[in-house]
Amino acid sequence: MDPAEVEFLAEKEMVKIIPNFSLDKIYLIGGDLGPFNPGLPVEVPVWLALNLKQRQKCRIVPPEWMDTDKLEEIREQERKLDTFTPIPSLYYMELTKLLLNHSADNIPKADEIRTLVKDIWDTRVAKLRLSADSFISQQEAHAQLDNLTLMEINTTRSFLLDSLNYMYKLRSNLQPGRSQDY
Amino acid sequence: MPCERKPMRYGHSEGHTDVCFDDEGKCVVTCGSDGDVRIWESLDDDDPKSINVGEKVYSVALKNEGANFGILFSSDFIVKIVEVVDSSQQKTLRGHDAPILSVALDPSDEFLASSSCDGSVAVWSIESQTQVAQWQILQKSSDVSNAKSLCRLAWQPRSGKLLAVPVDLTIQLYDRNTWTHVSTLSDDLISQVVNVVVWSPCGKFLAAGTVGGNLLVWDVEAKLCIERQKHEKGFTVCGMAWHPSGGRIAYTDTEGCLGLLEGVPSSSSTVQSTKAAAAKETHDYDDLFDEDDDRGLDEGMSDSRSPVKKPIMEEDDDDDDLMPATGRPRNRGSFLDDDDNSQDPSCVKLDGVPEEDGSSAILPAVGPAVSRPVYEGPMPTQPQRAFQPGSTPVHLMHRFMVWNSVGIVRGYNDDQDNAIDVEFHDTAIHHAMHLTNTLGHTMADLSQEAVLLACEGTEELASKIQCLHFSCWDTHKDWIVDLPKGEDVRTLCLGQGWAAVATSALMVRLFSVGGVQKEIFSLPGAVVCMAGHGEQLLIVYHRGTGFDGDQALGIQLLQLGHKRRQVIHGEPLPLSRKSYLAWMGFTAEGTPCCIDSEGVVRMLNRTLGNMWTPVCNTRDSCKSKSDHYWVVGVHENPQQLRCIPCKGARYPPTLPRPAVAVLPFNLPYCQTTTEKGQMEEQYWRSVLFQNHYGFLSSSGYEIDSEGQSRAEKEQQELLMKMFALSCKLEREFRCVELAEIMTHSVVTLAIRYASRSRRMALAQRLSELALEKASQIQEEEQEEEEPAYQREYRGSNQMSRRLAPVENGCEEEEEYPQEEQMDAEESTETRKLSLNPFKKGGKSPERPSPKPKYLINIFKLQVSGAGKSSSSPAGQPRTTNVLDSMTMSNRKPAPLGSTSKQGKAPVLKPLAPKPKSKTQATLLQMSASKGNSKKLEDSQSEAEKVKPAPAATPPASAENIENRKPKTGFQLWLEENRKSILADNPDFEEMDVIKEGMGRFRTLSAEERLNWTERAKGDSDPKKRKREDEEGQVDEQTESDEGRTKKKKPLDTSAKLSAFAFNKE
Repeated sequence: MDPAEVEFLAEKEMVKIIPNFSLDKIYLIGGDLGPFNPGLPVEVPVWLALNLKQRQKCRIVPPEWMDTDKLEEIREQERKLDTFTPIPSLYYMELTKLLLNHSADNIPKADEIRTLVKDIWDTRVAKLRLSADSFISQQEAHAQLDNLTLMEINTTRSFLLDSLNYMYKLRSNLQPGRSQDY
Repeated sequence: MPCERKPMRYGHSEGHTDVCFDDEGKCVVTCGSDGDVRIWESLDDDDPKSINVGEKVYSVALKNEGANFGILFSSDFIVKIVEVVDSSQQKTLRGHDAPILSVALDPSDEFLASSSCDGSVAVWSIESQTQVAQWQILQKSSDVSNAKSLCRLAWQPRSGKLLAVPVDLTIQLYDRNTWTHVSTLSDDLISQVVNVVVWSPCGKFLAAGTVGGNLLVWDVEAKLCIERQKHEKGFTVCGMAWHPSGGRIAYTDTEGCLGLLEGVPSSSSTVQSTKAAAAKETHDYDDLFDEDDDRGLDEGMSDSRSPVKKPIMEEDDDDDDLMPATGRPRNRGSFLDDDDNSQDPSCVKLDGVPEEDGSSAILPAVGPAVSRPVYEGPMPTQPQRAFQPGSTPVHLMHRFMVWNSVGIVRGYNDDQDNAIDVEFHDTAIHHAMHLTNTLGHTMADLSQEAVLLACEGTEELASKIQCLHFSCWDTHKDWIVDLPKGEDVRTLCLGQGWAAVATSALMVRLFSVGGVQKEIFSLPGAVVCMAGHGEQLLIVYHRGTGFDGDQALGIQLLQLGHKRRQVIHGEPLPLSRKSYLAWMGFTAEGTPCCIDSEGVVRMLNRTLGNMWTPVCNTRDSCKSKSDHYWVVGVHENPQQLRCIPCKGARYPPTLPRPAVAVLPFNLPYCQTTTEKGQMEEQYWRSVLFQNHYGFLSSSGYEIDSEGQSRAEKEQQELLMKMFALSCKLEREFRCVELAEIMTHSVVTLAIRYASRSRRMALAQRLSELALEKASQIQEEEQEEEEPAYQREYRGSNQMSRRLAPVENGCEEEEEYPQEEQMDAEESTETRKLSLNPFKKGGKSPERPSPKPKYLINIFKLQVSGAGKSSSSPAGQPRTTNVLDSMTMSNRKPAPLGSTSKQGKAPVLKPLAPKPKSKTQATLLQMSASKGNSKKLEDSQSEAEKVKPAPAATPPASAENIENRKPKTGFQLWLEENRKSILADNPDFEEMDVIKEGMGRFRTLSAEERLNWTERAKGDSDPKKRKREDEEGQVDEQTESDEGRTKKKKPLDTSAKLSAFAFNKE
């Protein structure tokens, strides 16, 4: 899976916008959106929000968790615990990137948020690498990791699977009595 | 009253505050829980110097030259004394068992008094660090935050002879030498715990502030209360300070406001009054003092004050100037420690060491206590200032000048910039604007056409109005108007094509949006605010003086434009107790709306004689007490109250940009936790929020008729639900009351519901009501001429064929098939049985024929009424027409049934408006289960009735003609016994005969009745009997198995109903 594909999935998440135009309800396959009243917050998917924002048709209201205090708390929690902490949004990384890239002017303390989310991401990915390492070094058959997001799984999936495959191959070659089928 | 209370100033955010004067009395210093210390030149100082010193500041005191002591205490129950200069000498006083509330340093530095949450007040010797005296006089509490009173102690200045301790509702004075209780000061006005006490600089007077917001001043010698003042909003007073020269008291409350009492009697005034006895009359407070008393005070004064200073004091008193008074140290020694139990000292208190020796100047020379006339009645309220709805206070540097449904105007007034930003919610109206505010505009309004700005005049410049008419099509997009000298703009508003400005000359000036001056008129009082919408202008002004915190506001609503008139003629505007107007404006649909400081939203109810109905309380939605909602707009369709949640404040900051939230409306009806209350609230809310349709259409606007009909449908559905609920609760009278509000067509539905749930008495009353309604409609109709389109309307209806015979007066033939069809469909319902005799009786040939002409007329007119907007008796205009149109396709036969039978067999209204079928289904389900429960009760008698049932039930509509022949057992019996009934009661009508017959038939024994039924069966043809027998079996089966029936019955009914609805389509 491509990170771009994950990002595409994240664009389905709902986000609040404040439109500066007036439009009746629009009926889409995925559901009805609107009505859009100027000045009144309305929930739309991220893809639409970004599109409207690029056309300067709205202001994006950052999601509730996109706040320095809350993110700091999560970061501390993440650093304290060995396991993965629950994250307020399954697409926190993608949403942060999308929203900050396109509407940083609507998000207070955008730079701080960027740093914080990056910190959280780094901590989590480090944990993931660590657990993969111990998983392999202890030659475990299975492991359970909770609260991982799609993007995080995606970063390690291909590498981990491939390497496991190769290791399996190498190990089975080493085993005496096994013919070299490969 | 001799002393004047100045209006409160907002100083700090809510929470604990404190106040003190500087030594010369030049400025006031306040601190608050926001961590700021502010220095005010005077109360009118708009830009106090602000110093941020920490997270929370609990107490302030100014350093005097001789200061070398600081006391500090913390929540670890210890009082510490620190040498301020080098903090070398620390002394610790231990002995309290709970957090310390306050401490006070004796003016002669010998003792220290402290009060604690453990309920004790202790006096310590500083030198020996031991407790000298202790009194258990306070209420115990666990923590400072829980303590009822701050219990600020105070030593008498200079001599320190007396220690004042606030104890509950009184103030107790303790003697310095003996540590005994000398006297108690109290007053009837004190209803809540005394929080703060302070001595006047001369030591003769003692001022106290209570939790309830009372401010009192006692003459200590005379033990008499000489001043009583009430905080304008009744907030808790938590800090007080005398001006060093006496004469004024500054105080702060827990809401962060700073207030000032001026003209408080002080030693200087008494000096003067004796010295210049001739001038006595000029001082309005002279009568407070007896001459003897004055002299005694004077002696004391002359001892303590140098004679040189006296003239200064006099002067000071005369012109109320802040003159440098004696550099006497102030003695304030109390503050609140940190709430969060931190171990570190919360703050250091600087306390001045008195320069003068505590002389025995102030003798408690008790003069003759003379009773003085003190006004104790209600106090007038400070009238609220004029404001622009949707603006934040003027003194803020960054503020919203207006936020309305069109856009936002922000004002910036800081060091770098003095500018105005105009931003539109809908960028299609206009792009955002940035203006430099050279004229210093403070007021603004925004409409789809223009921005109106205004500033108050200064000494050189006149007050100006500036209008940016951006929708103007020529090149000159703005105009400026100067007001006459001395006249200031107070508030302004924009409407459609006009602008209005209210001025300090109690005048309203109207302008066209292009700048043409139009009407001017005077207002009866000072304006509070104005709002415009379309051609409506709403003006709120002071109607008079309010008392005890209430405002007395009047309101005028004017209709400008082509039909000019005054809609509301200066009637009083209702507000919550002790509140002021916070927002005033129109809903997007044009209904006036006001919001007071208590958060209650009221809306004008035009159908109720322009009364104000509370529709929402924003404070109900607040999580904490200090949260508020700042309203920016009200919409009726959809019902939305748009507001900005403000955490811990009344107003939102400009940055970060606040987000609009939507609150629902909620009329304060009783018992909204119950289903009944909920539906009542919903119904009346729907009615209220639908009023604007009437107004809009009457003033010639286009209305959203779809939305209107939706609202009306919703109302009728709610009524029907309420009807069903009351039916379930066996509240039949209530049912009728509800039916009175319903439209005619819904009443027929209700009749059917009632009869299905076997409430014959109810059904009958309802049908009478339906008739009444029909005739009312008719009367109204007769007044107007029947319009031509009505015929077309009827013609377009596919049922016109059916109508024709009705008009010819031969409706009987038409009606039967309808009835029979209904019967067939409902034949399995044995509960209906009791009805049948009525019906059959009604059709019996002997029955006096109803006046067909009249009734037909009713029907006809009712149909025609559907085309027009005829109002139902409940006063809901146009409700009829909507429902009629809704049920148009299949309502035709309904009135037929009702009219022909004079509404006596109302079961048979085949009225199933398609959009309602769902509701109906649920209603019927309810009725079915209801019926079941009833069945349980009298299953015995029911079983007997089952027998005649099948006989009475007419079969399918296909067999119409036959159907008239079969007769029930009762009918047979009735035919035989009719004569005897008539003989007994010769004046009986047909209906009464049947009733009487019913009664008698019931009294017959089961066997006899069975007998009659058998005879009836014998009469009917065999084919039908077979069918009926089957049905009878089914019924018996149902009866026998109660539990199964209960589950099954509703299902059956709804299934049947859906079939019914399908048939009817």
